[in-house]
Amino acid sequence: MSYKIPMGPYHPALEEPYKLDMICEGETVLDAKLHVGFNFRGIEHLAETRNHIQVIALMERVCGICSFIHTLTLCRAMEGLTGLTAPPRAQYIRVIMAELERLHSHVLWAGIAAKLMGFKTMFMTCFEIREKIMDILAAISGNRVNYSMNRIGGVNRDITDPASILKMVEALEGEMAKTVIPIFTTSRTARSRCAGIGVLTKEQAIACAVVGPVARASGLPQDLRKDAPYAAYPEMEFDVPVQPDGDVRARLLVRALEIMESCKILRQALAKLPPGEFHTEGEKFAFITGTSTARVEAPRGEVMYSVSWKEGSRNPARVHVRTPTFAVMPAIRWMVKGARLADTPLIQASIDPCYSCTDR
Amino acid sequence: MSSLESISAKLGSTEPWVEKGGVHWLALDAAKVRELAKAMNEIHARFITITAYQLPKDEGFRLEYHWDLNGQLLGFSFPLAGKSIESIFDLTEAADWIEREIHEEYGLDFTGREYEPLLLRQGETMGVNLREEKI
Repeated sequence: MSYKIPMGPYHPALEEPYKLDMICEGETVLDAKLHVGFNFRGIEHLAETRNHIQVIALMERVCGICSFIHTLTLCRAMEGLTGLTAPPRAQYIRVIMAELERLHSHVLWAGIAAKLMGFKTMFMTCFEIREKIMDILAAISGNRVNYSMNRIGGVNRDITDPASILKMVEALEGEMAKTVIPIFTTSRTARSRCAGIGVLTKEQAIACAVVGPVARASGLPQDLRKDAPYAAYPEMEFDVPVQPDGDVRARLLVRALEIMESCKILRQALAKLPPGEFHTEGEKFAFITGTSTARVEAPRGEVMYSVSWKEGSRNPARVHVRTPTFAVMPAIRWMVKGARLADTPLIQASIDPCYSCTDR
Repeated sequence: MSSLESISAKLGSTEPWVEKGGVHWLALDAAKVRELAKAMNEIHARFITITAYQLPKDEGFRLEYHWDLNGQLLGFSFPLAGKSIESIFDLTEAADWIEREIHEEYGLDFTGREYEPLLLRQGETMGVNLREEKI
C-alpha cells in the first residue's frame, strides 16, 4: 500500500522553504510533487520601480551566494542598452570575482553534502576553507556577501595588489588539493553514500533542460564560459569537467573538479590582469528603447536576464530573471523516483538548490 | 544551409533572422508555437525560458521564447492579440514551470494543459500579479 510523505515546507537539508510530497511504497519513493513559492518576493515587479543604480542593488539580493553573478548578468544586459563596454581590466576583475564566487559556492555545497553523508569533520573543514574564500572576496570588495562590485561599464573597485590575492588563492588551492578534493573523489564514505543514487539520465537531463553541474554530471558538456564566452573568459584556458553517470557522486565529482579548474582560471586572470581603467570614467550614457539579454555561467548553471527599457525612462520596463535552480529543480522528481526515502535529502541537496533564486 | 536557415525552412518562414544584443531573433505567428517547439526538439536546442511583456494601452501581450543552440541564443517573439497561446509543455517538459509562472503572474492561458499552483496565492488572487489591470 502506498502512502504520502510530505517533506517540508522546511527543507530537511538546507533549512529553506520548499516542499516535496512523496508517494512511497515501503521505503521506496514512487513519485513526487514539488512545491515552491513559500517566500516569493516579486523582485521582477520591484525592479520596475528602481532606477539603473537602484536596480543593481536590488538584483544583488536575488541570491545570497551568487550575488555577484546576478549583478554581472544584469549589468551586461544594461550595457547592451547603453552601448557602454567594460574596459579590459574590469573584464578580468569580473572573471576573478565570478570564479571566487564559484569556489565559495561549491565549497559551501561540499560542506552541506558532507554533513548529509554523515561526514561532519569534512563539513567543518569545508566551512573553514569557505571562510578563507570569503576573506579574499572581502579583501577585494570590502564585503563578504553582497559585494557591490558591478556597475554599468565596469566594476566599482580595483584589485590593487593582485600578487597578494594570488598568494591567498595558491594557499587555498593547496589546502583544497590536500583535503576536499581527494576525500570527495576517492574516499569510500563518499562513494558508498553517493554512487548510484538520485540518477538523472542524459535523456532526462535533455528533456528537463537542466543546466550547470547537474547537466555536466549527466554527460552534457554545456558551459557558457566555453559555449558563449563573455568578460575575459575567451583568454582563459580551462577544462569543463563532465561525468556520464548522472548520480549524486557524479555531481560531487563535477563540482570537486570544477574547484580545481576555478583555481586554474584565477591564477591566469590574476597573473595577466591588464593595466588601465576598471570602469568607463565620466562617460555619459543613455538607455535606448529595446530589450537586451545576457547570460552568465553561475556556480549552479546558466543565469539569464532580459532587460527592457524605454528611452527617457528612469526605470526598466521589465526585468526577467531565469535562475539556474528554476531550470534544475523540476528534475528532482525524476531523481527521487525509485530512490530510498532515507536518500532523498541528499538527492535534493545534490542539485545545490537555491530557494532564494527560485522565490525571486 | 546554415542552422538558422534550416530552422526557418522547417517553420515555413520567409522572415529574416535579425541579430540584436547577442540574440538571433525570428518573428513568428503565435499559431506556430508548437511547430517551433517541435523544430527545436529536432535540432536538439535547449529550452531556456519564456518572457512575458504587457504592451502599453490595449495592445495585449508579447511572449518571447528562448532556446540555446550550441551557445547561440535564439529568440522567438510572439505578439498575442488575446490572452492565450497553445502550451508546449507536452513537447518541452522544461517549459512547465515558466508556463505556470506566467499564467499566475499575467493571467495568460497556455491552452491544452492543466495548472497547479506554483507561486503564492491569496484567496482568489492568482500569483503575484504583474499585470497592470486586476486579473
